[in-house]
Amino acid sequence: MTTYQEFIQQNEDRDGVRFSWNLWPSSRLEATRLVVPVSCLFTPLKERPDLPPVQYEPVLCSRANCKAVLNPLCQVDFRAKIWACNFCFQRNPFPPSYAGISEVNQPAELMPQFSTIEYIVQRGAVAPLIFLYVVDTCLEEEDLQALKESLQMSLSLLPPNALVGLITFGRMVQVHELSCEGIAKSYVFRGTKDLSSKQIQEMLGLTKSPATGQQGRPSAPQDAEAICRFLQPVHRVDMNLTDLLGELQRDPWPVPQGKRPLRSTGVALTVAVGLLEGTYPNTGARVMLFIGGPPTQGPGMVVGDELKTPIRSWHDIQKDNARHLKKATKYYEAMSNRSAVNGHCIDIYACALDQTGLLEMKCLSNFTGGHIVMGDSFNTSLFKQTFQRVFSKDYNGDFRMAFGGVLEVKTSREVKVCGTIGPCVSLNAKGSCVSENEMGIGGTSQWKVCGLNPSTTLGIFFEVVNQHNAPVPQGGRGVIQFVTQYQHSNTQRRIRVSTIARNWADAQSQIQHIESSFDQEAAAVLMARLGVFRAESEEGPDVLRWLDRQLIRLCQKFGQFNKDDPTSFKLSESLSLYPQFMFHLRRSPFLQVFNNSPDESSYYRHHFVRQDLTQSLIMVQPILYSYSFHGPPEPVLLDSSSILPDRILLMDTFFQLVIFHGETIAQWRKAGYQEMAEYENFKQLLLAPLDDAQEILQTRFPMPRYIETEHQGSQARFLLSKVNPSQTHNNSYAWGQETGAPILTDDVSLQVFMDHLKKLAVSSST
Amino acid sequence: SYGYPSMQPTYGQGPAALTDASPAHNPYGQPPYQQYSQPFPNLSQLSAALGGLSGVPELEVEALSPINLMQERCLLPPRPLEAPEPNLSPDLKKVNCHPQTFRSTLTSIPQTQALLNKARLPLGLLLHPFRDLQQLPVITSNTIVRCRSCRTYINPFVTFLDQRRWKCNLCYRVNDVPDEFMYNPVTRSYGEPHKRPEVQNATVEFIASSDYMLRPPQPAAYLFVLDVSHNAVESGYLKYFCESLMDNMDKLPGDTRTRVGFVTFDNTIHFYNLQEGLSQPQMLVVSDIDDVFIPSHDSLMVNLKESKELVKDLLTSLPGMFSQSRETHSALGPALQAAFKLMSPTGGRVTVFQTQLPTLGAGSLQSREDPNQRSSSKGVQHLGPATDFYKKFALDCSGQQIGVDLFLLSSQYTDLASLGCMSKYSAGSIFYYPSFHYIQNPAQLEKFQKDLERYISRKIGFEAVMRIRCTKGLSIHTFHGNFFVRSTDLLSLANVNPDSAFAVQMSIEDSLADSSLACFQAALLYTSSKGKRRIRVHTLCLPVVNQLSDVYAGADVQAITCLLANMAIDRAITSSLSDARDALTNAVVDLVTAYKSNVSNMQQSGLVVPTSMCLFPIYILALLKQKALRTGTCTRLDERVFAMCEFKTQPLQQLMRMVHPDLYRLDKLSDQGVLHLNDTVVPQPHLLHLSAENLSRDGVFLMDCGNVFYLWIGKNCNEMFIRDVLGCPNYASIPPNMNHIPELETPLSERVRAFLDWLQDNRAFSSMMLVVKDDASAKATFFPYLVEDRSESGSSYHEFLEHIQQQMSK
Ligand SMILES: [Zn+2]
Ligand SMILES: [Zn+2]
Repeated sequence: MTTYQEFIQQNEDRDGVRFSWNLWPSSRLEATRLVVPVSCLFTPLKERPDLPPVQYEPVLCSRANCKAVLNPLCQVDFRAKIWACNFCFQRNPFPPSYAGISEVNQPAELMPQFSTIEYIVQRGAVAPLIFLYVVDTCLEEEDLQALKESLQMSLSLLPPNALVGLITFGRMVQVHELSCEGIAKSYVFRGTKDLSSKQIQEMLGLTKSPATGQQGRPSAPQDAEAICRFLQPVHRVDMNLTDLLGELQRDPWPVPQGKRPLRSTGVALTVAVGLLEGTYPNTGARVMLFIGGPPTQGPGMVVGDELKTPIRSWHDIQKDNARHLKKATKYYEAMSNRSAVNGHCIDIYACALDQTGLLEMKCLSNFTGGHIVMGDSFNTSLFKQTFQRVFSKDYNGDFRMAFGGVLEVKTSREVKVCGTIGPCVSLNAKGSCVSENEMGIGGTSQWKVCGLNPSTTLGIFFEVVNQHNAPVPQGGRGVIQFVTQYQHSNTQRRIRVSTIARNWADAQSQIQHIESSFDQEAAAVLMARLGVFRAESEEGPDVLRWLDRQLIRLCQKFGQFNKDDPTSFKLSESLSLYPQFMFHLRRSPFLQVFNNSPDESSYYRHHFVRQDLTQSLIMVQPILYSYSFHGPPEPVLLDSSSILPDRILLMDTFFQLVIFHGETIAQWRKAGYQEMAEYENFKQLLLAPLDDAQEILQTRFPMPRYIETEHQGSQARFLLSKVNPSQTHNNSYAWGQETGAPILTDDVSLQVFMDHLKKLAVSSST
Repeated sequence: SYGYPSMQPTYGQGPAALTDASPAHNPYGQPPYQQYSQPFPNLSQLSAALGGLSGVPELEVEALSPINLMQERCLLPPRPLEAPEPNLSPDLKKVNCHPQTFRSTLTSIPQTQALLNKARLPLGLLLHPFRDLQQLPVITSNTIVRCRSCRTYINPFVTFLDQRRWKCNLCYRVNDVPDEFMYNPVTRSYGEPHKRPEVQNATVEFIASSDYMLRPPQPAAYLFVLDVSHNAVESGYLKYFCESLMDNMDKLPGDTRTRVGFVTFDNTIHFYNLQEGLSQPQMLVVSDIDDVFIPSHDSLMVNLKESKELVKDLLTSLPGMFSQSRETHSALGPALQAAFKLMSPTGGRVTVFQTQLPTLGAGSLQSREDPNQRSSSKGVQHLGPATDFYKKFALDCSGQQIGVDLFLLSSQYTDLASLGCMSKYSAGSIFYYPSFHYIQNPAQLEKFQKDLERYISRKIGFEAVMRIRCTKGLSIHTFHGNFFVRSTDLLSLANVNPDSAFAVQMSIEDSLADSSLACFQAALLYTSSKGKRRIRVHTLCLPVVNQLSDVYAGADVQAITCLLANMAIDRAITSSLSDARDALTNAVVDLVTAYKSNVSNMQQSGLVVPTSMCLFPIYILALLKQKALRTGTCTRLDERVFAMCEFKTQPLQQLMRMVHPDLYRLDKLSDQGVLHLNDTVVPQPHLLHLSAENLSRDGVFLMDCGNVFYLWIGKNCNEMFIRDVLGCPNYASIPPNMNHIPELETPLSERVRAFLDWLQDNRAFSSMMLVVKDDASAKATFFPYLVEDRSESGSSYHEFLEHIQQQMSK
């Protein structure tokens, strides 16, 4: 008998799935009483080096509104060559190619270890991948130079047969032709004028304009040659494009004193989206937007060009004083939806000291599965390495990116899907699997995920629909099938199918079993996603109140206590860490906006709702390691008591890596002991966290901000703002010496939080 | 017999009895105006005073002798007609303005409007103010001396009352002579203001101070706007344009600041970033033709010196870039809007090359020519513009000191009547190459290339204004040419070029009785291509007369013909072609009638005109058969309109050759009257009347039509000529469309070529040569110029005279 932890790990490794509950309450009522919904984190393209794809197409249930994929849970009559669909119970004959199957000669998809299986689909023309660079030229010279170099470098990283295109913008928008010789050619658009996709295609000469086309006829078919002018195989134009990028100048229009440069980001994106829409709909494409400042003119402008008017802050937004916010957001959302429909994803690489309008533009990436990378300058290793990592390759030498994903969720009858939270849009596929109760993006059983990578993780929420008094369903298991169709980076069309079953349990008689099946890590992340999703539309305090209420209810449901006696409160092991996660979540930048700009909040949330469980947990509750002479490095509590003079701390918040030297360590270092041969061990101690940090820096996407600081260093705030303020300036005098560092904060500490929680949980009045 | 007319004109005899249709008829009549008479103690003034009075030089007598046209058939002088000399003292004659620069229809100005009315001749000026000059006194001085009252520039015709005072010859104000003017920089002597170059030359140029600038002089700026549609590519012009500009780039007038730019267009507009430092030119395509904008800052009009290599790269690449174009549409209007935006900050010259009707965006046009209607009796329609777009555009350009020149190369109707407005109102030039094709029409190609060479290298002035002042009493009322009229005497010329001429109609508002001289001064203020503000001043001095006979004696038949042609063109556009034609015929009728009733004492029948005007009926007949004004033949609308444009802008000499070509026999070149120029002997054959009578099948004839030479080879022409001059063994082997006279080292060839070269000399644009054989092809090209013969487009000279006679007796 394996433990739940092992079971969870196995399931995650095999199917890329983590459920909040691994036993499912058998009725709707009981399910609601569990507070945390039946839900999962699903990583559709989780890397499976051990899973070679099969070279045939999946066998589908013949029922038109089912079409579930044959899977190991299906009952098979080998003699009759018939299989029963485990979703709709339709009996399906096997296709002729399966004539040879028997108990001893089973196709992979019937074997239990292939609960997740990947098919390579041969139909349809092979479409190349497309990379369309959209580059802001209103940059400082140094930034532009660095960006140009990164872009030039990236050409060598692209798949050689990939199509590549270039759009640059400043006051105007330029679409560059790549096939010219002797003269560089580009099409220029005014940065202030919104254009329809049709107009853009006409203006680019991709279709004949009505004036030139023959009367009464539809516009001429796409001219392949015409399209080629803008999107060319990288192996054919890399020299040209390298030169073109080399020649790229800063936006030539003068910027008067006291003004921002006129930056036509909105029109540039419209043109990019329109170009791809007209030329390669439903083909994997990546629009890569590089910006060094906010859009300042035309549709999608976020702030005017007067420097004396600062870009909107959270304060402005709360006071309803952000002039362009609604209009710009609406503009980018409409564009994001269009891009998503066409299967094209949009990345935003924003490097500037001030905000760049990510709040308004985030949907571009959030709806399409694109990346958002935020940095201070393109001339930083943070940007350069992050950008390189976009093109990283897997164990097969394939790019860690996939395109045009469609995720379909099929459920057995007792379960319906409420929605997902992740980098996707709804495909509005109604059906019997779809719950009326929406959580996240709901009302559908299919979602489009235009850009995916092996870590892209969606939160998927379910509803148990069994009536309260109905018996636990026969066979005892609820089944969910995830069908992910996508374009592999090697341009193959592929379908990955994961079929997952969990046992039903009667919540009244088997509540301990259900409790022990609780995956508190998954649950914390899933509840956090719900909270973040709410935070996008609701006021911050309301979200916190909602989270608190859920936590209290959960504690009331599963805690052991005597009424009105907080000291008696206990939680079982399977829930023990959960309140702490919630404590840190409340303090996290995903829900607390006031120390962050709107762009930063958008950025943090963007990453939070797409990373896998491990990364998400780091984001919620950063990891803290302590290094000392007393022993090997050890994880320590994310607590101010961990900040000690003779320790070095390494904190990983996902977005930042902070190395912090305690007071004594810092003094020794200043004294230069590490340079002295007799203090080699000190040198080693200093190096140890650096090595560990390097390991994280090597793999993390996006590259975290790397901070080295020390006791009373100006950057120590990065650490101090994260740790639990167990000692604050309000209480530290009461505590003894040498036990930690007091934090200048009015935040409640974990202790106080827990005390409150216990009080409320045991209170008979709630 | 030379008889001085005895009958004195009487004021009572007005023009009322005459038909009113003549454009020469002038409704202005002014009462005599008595002005106090001025003593002129100055020597030059004295002689001038004498010049205008009773002394009748021989020339005048000759000019006045009546000729009966019905009898006298040989009217042409042996050599092309020269401008008549005004009846002035030799001193004044010597300094007077050159007639090629400044010419009056009447070299003796009638004292009153009444007298002018009686003469039935138009009073006007023909100006060629910026023509290339061999010698031009350029004056740099701190103060440019001008009349304080009327701002006339000091000139040879002012009077020095004493050393320190001069009297204006236009308004008679007495002005002080500034100290600086007492010094003569030429002789380096002091105290001889009347020897200053300004007072010694009727044409001078001043370097102007900042007083004459509204803004610092702008650099020379040239923008080329090129049609690159399929049609343009087919015609093949682009390659030759690029070659020509490349070859002549260093001749483009300017200095280190000179700026150039290029715009090409088909259904979209293409700009070229030629910023120094780029490795190759960058083409920027703007497709939004309904809302054209400038796609880049400060890199589309570039410093030629700094970006020369990029410009060359572009010119090398351009022809190939569009060779595969299938785009048939033309967004000319938007391209022009783009050009305007590019050039607005500096002004300058925009050169537009267009090969078809514009079909897209603002200013798009539809064909208005119905080939079946070309010879319709309903009159010629669509001589005016179809849209005001091009006029408005030109006026906007003029306001920003942008001149627009148009090169129209087209095999089909392109609505020059509309397109031409872009140049007409912006002081531009129009060039037209009908049926241009680089292979099929080598003659046009050669002309295009030669024209381009001249065009690119010719002098240019920017941000110019021209003011014409005249002696008190005279007034200007109509200008002809390409310009924008800013006020009654002031023309705005965004560009001024050495090949454009102007005409001015004048009237006499106040009697000129108190002066014996009338003066005209044209002052052209411009920015040179080297960024200097300059003023070119021309002053013309003419005697004032009170006798009709003197008016006739001084009549300049060519100037009159040209002015009447200008007036007729206006009439054709604003009224109708037939009105314009009637007016021209009436001008002859009026003249003959007026002369008969007022001056000639001969009662004989027939048509009697003063000798000075004896070619008038021929010229008018020729005008009526000219492309611009003819009827009854298949004249393409664009060709007609172009001829009209030519009338408005060509200098007189060129115009006269177009109206009435010079015909010579070339196979019998004699030594009589030959010129010896350097080592070359230039034969001087006599002019022949334009009639087939003068042709013979055994001869070779040259017809000089101004911009084209026709060499007509008779069927039975001497084979030696064919061999020695044309380099062909015999008549039959002369190729069709031959457009070169080979450089053969035979004595005959050398003589013929010496004569042709001599004709070609001093012409701004070289003329096409077309060898015409005595066959059907000549019918369309050569014979229509034989204006004295009856033709499809009108009566013979004799018939015309008869018609005049009939009209007179009505
Ligand atoms: Zn089924
Ligand atoms: Zn004056």
